[in-house]
Amino acid sequence: MHHQFRSPDGPIEVTVAKQGHDWSLGGLSATVMVDGRLQIINANGSTSYAHVAKVGDVWWVHLEGHTFKLERIEPGASDTDEGGGLTAPMPGKVLEVLVSAGQSVSAGTTLMVLEAMKMEHKIVAASDGTVSAVHYAAGDQVDQGVALLALDES
Amino acid sequence: MVSKVLVANRGEIACRILRACNEAGLASVAIHAENDSNSLFVELADEAVLLSGETIAETYLDQQQILSIAESTGADAIHPGFGFLSERADFARAVTQAGLQWVGPSPEAIEKMGDKMTARITMRAAGVPVIPGEEIEHEDESDALAAIQEASHRVGYPMLLKASSGGGGKGMRAVHSPDQLIESAKGARREAIAAFGDGRVYVERLLTGSKHVEIQVLADRHGRTIHLGERECSVQRRHQKVFEEAPCATMTPELREAMGQAAVAAAKAVDYEGAGTVEFLLAPTGEFFFLEMNTRIQVEHPVTELVTGVDLVREQLRIAAGDAMTCGPLMIRGHAIEVRLYAEDASNNFLPAIGPLAVFRPPEGPGVRLDTGVREGDEVTPNYDPMLAKLIVWAPSREEALQRMRRALDEFVVLGTTTNIRFLRELCDESEVINGVTDTTTIDRIWPDGWQPTVPRSVEDAALMAAAVGESSGIHRGQTVVSGGGGTSPSPFETINRRFP
Repeated sequence: MHHQFRSPDGPIEVTVAKQGHDWSLGGLSATVMVDGRLQIINANGSTSYAHVAKVGDVWWVHLEGHTFKLERIEPGASDTDEGGGLTAPMPGKVLEVLVSAGQSVSAGTTLMVLEAMKMEHKIVAASDGTVSAVHYAAGDQVDQGVALLALDES
Repeated sequence: MVSKVLVANRGEIACRILRACNEAGLASVAIHAENDSNSLFVELADEAVLLSGETIAETYLDQQQILSIAESTGADAIHPGFGFLSERADFARAVTQAGLQWVGPSPEAIEKMGDKMTARITMRAAGVPVIPGEEIEHEDESDALAAIQEASHRVGYPMLLKASSGGGGKGMRAVHSPDQLIESAKGARREAIAAFGDGRVYVERLLTGSKHVEIQVLADRHGRTIHLGERECSVQRRHQKVFEEAPCATMTPELREAMGQAAVAAAKAVDYEGAGTVEFLLAPTGEFFFLEMNTRIQVEHPVTELVTGVDLVREQLRIAAGDAMTCGPLMIRGHAIEVRLYAEDASNNFLPAIGPLAVFRPPEGPGVRLDTGVREGDEVTPNYDPMLAKLIVWAPSREEALQRMRRALDEFVVLGTTTNIRFLRELCDESEVINGVTDTTTIDRIWPDGWQPTVPRSVEDAALMAAAVGESSGIHRGQTVVSGGGGTSPSPFETINRRFP
């Protein structure tokens, strides 16, 4: 079966084949255990155990002390990134807006200061550009993921 | 006499105290906000009372409401834990005036130590060395900024701005050059006003290359004030501790004795009672300076418990009841390390994370202790501190403790919410940590551009396969593939191998 997962370098395609109870991919094989974990036989013959859980579209996998967050691209979904990245990292309150629309900023400039979980978080320009819109003012409450500002990269 | 303890806290530390009450045969009362109704600590109490109100100020910080719950439930003592009201002298006073026993020091001791500037002045008078710096008493913003500017010339750069009512890194800023001073001072004041309602900020020399070493003290009403050795908590990110150990790797018996005696002098200077911690900066020269005293139980108290064999929370309860502490002469045995598991993205400037704890499987086995207030199925919300758990290990030597910590962290599975587990695991492989030569700038020095995980390609491939198999086999829909069941035909090997005695 064929699946796609999002990565910073573009979608990763994974095709797994099933034979009896065993799944295989290249030199790897895996079996789903009764408790929902996966037993994986690695290419070198060693065995490891993976915990997996799906939350929304994201597969969380714990394997060999590493935890992976693999977002599955639903078939037919567009693969474009929504991002300018200037979104609220968590729900919180806007403490300060340090720029206004039309202003040119350089990479690293602090654009906005948010308060969440009793700490201050800076929203910083990732690249040089011009602020094209400021969507919130100091004192506003914002939800996680909302666009705070728009930045046209130069 | 203490027979029924109200725990004015939540989460992990409430669990710790409620369990101690249970073990001591004391009745217990938990108080909780609506959004904590299903939290673990509520289950561990004999009684749990819902706090009315929504915000933290209206719930866990509402002194009147907590006092009336104490009255209505017949509690005769209040244990504040850490954070929240634990270092609020006015609350300690109100508790005492209501005829209840406060599990902690007197309101006067809290006041003298809680206001960091007063503490510096008190310690200087008691002959305990303090960090070079200046107290700034102005409350008005422009007066304070002018005074900070003025003091900066005498204190010199780099310097630290610290909220006089501060703690936990809130209201604190490191300033490396004069052009950052005013912006940093404004930020520190703003955070301090928001967190503590007090914007006073003072100035200290930033002693780089120093270790953060703190001494645990205990004092009872029978004339005994003792220290229980040190904890080293140098490894910090954003001024919050993440890795703590006892003993300190570079400690000598002579230095321990000198620091222990200074800590005991500090405690005696304020007629201390109960458990407390005197924090010091230990310079590479072996000189040490008083940082502050925390007049409460501390997050990292378990490492001291593991190496001294003293149950600090039980001693707190005993001392509050007017009994003598039961611990004998100081004996340090083996080595203990604690790491703090935070719901945060260590690869993105330690940004707090939220989400469900879809899987939460802590490690087990010899020498492993977990103090947590969450369990699988809970939700991590932005309402409270993002600390999920403290993982503590004990082993006969420091080297073995580190080995055990690596093993335990590798076994720790948390899915559904981003945590710093991998960051902590890689920290255990850093030479500074292995050699015990950490200082307060260790994390920034090892990862000046931020931390990114190192993932072997083969493990990543196997993880992708696991996700693909999970999706294909429908594990997330609650279906598990049971051998021989469902529509797939059983393989001949299963039949042949199935032999029953």
